[in-house]
Amino acid sequence: MGYAASESGATEVASALAIKILIAGGFGVGKTTMVGTISEIRPLHTEELLSDLGIGVDDTTGVERKTTTTVALDFGRITIREGLWLYLFGTPGQDRFWFMWDELALGALGAVVLADTRRLRECFPAVDYFEQRGIPFLVAVNCFDGARRHDPSTVRRALGLGALTPIVLCDVRDRESVKDVLTNLVTYAVKGTFSST
Amino acid sequence: MSGPDPGPLIRLFGLTGGRARPQGEAFDLVAIVTTVSMAAGRADLMREHLAVLTLCRRPCPVADVAAHLRLPLNITRVLLGDLRREGLVTIDRPRPVTQTIDERIYREVLNGLRRL
Repeated sequence: MGYAASESGATEVASALAIKILIAGGFGVGKTTMVGTISEIRPLHTEELLSDLGIGVDDTTGVERKTTTTVALDFGRITIREGLWLYLFGTPGQDRFWFMWDELALGALGAVVLADTRRLRECFPAVDYFEQRGIPFLVAVNCFDGARRHDPSTVRRALGLGALTPIVLCDVRDRESVKDVLTNLVTYAVKGTFSST
Repeated sequence: MSGPDPGPLIRLFGLTGGRARPQGEAFDLVAIVTTVSMAAGRADLMREHLAVLTLCRRPCPVADVAAHLRLPLNITRVLLGDLRREGLVTIDRPRPVTQTIDERIYREVLNGLRRL
């Protein structure tokens, strides 16, 4: 009987698990490239509709201003096995979409803050955000054209990072390099999880 | 942010009857959707609903459903909320990372990444 089949399906404990990792950093620092380098699928792209949200629009006139706009959200996927996935979400760069970060960050395992040493200050907001919410993160310095303009200790000082926050040098176009960033992050994040439980 | 062409947006909100938020309990971008029933003979369901039911016969995260349907996440969530209310899908409540990731899963993830 049909109902018997669906009943057994419902009582079976679903073990499927999707783990979220965020890729943050300033505009044009290489977030989408990083996702594309490691994702098993072309980065998926959705346009998020923002309706009935008056973002940065004053509502002092008392008139309901209905703004409809979109924000692009790119994400990639790595299948570890059937029922266990890693999802990489590139966070929207513009400040006006900060509210979306809260949703993206909810339940995230950790975050990669991508940094360009020529524009280090652009990752301040991301560093602040993850520090304030206690979300484990590391800083990955994207070395464009092999240029290593700063050593990690300089970056640590410039960003005011604690001694424990990992800093890794990487090339977001290189698969091995991105794997290295992610394994570092997962290890760092999970160690924190285990020690706090 | 894209241009001001309202055409596609109107069509999309048409899918949800103008609603921007799903009914019932909120669910995460990576909450797992699983089809419970294929709703055979239900003439009131839209093409998009049926596509979800077909896709989620294998458990599938919300974000993937949106990408497969080529729909924005919040539109997708409204459709998923409808299907959940009708008892056609289940949507896993996301659990804190501390409860979902144990040492075994951590090892699996690490080894999986290294194998890539």
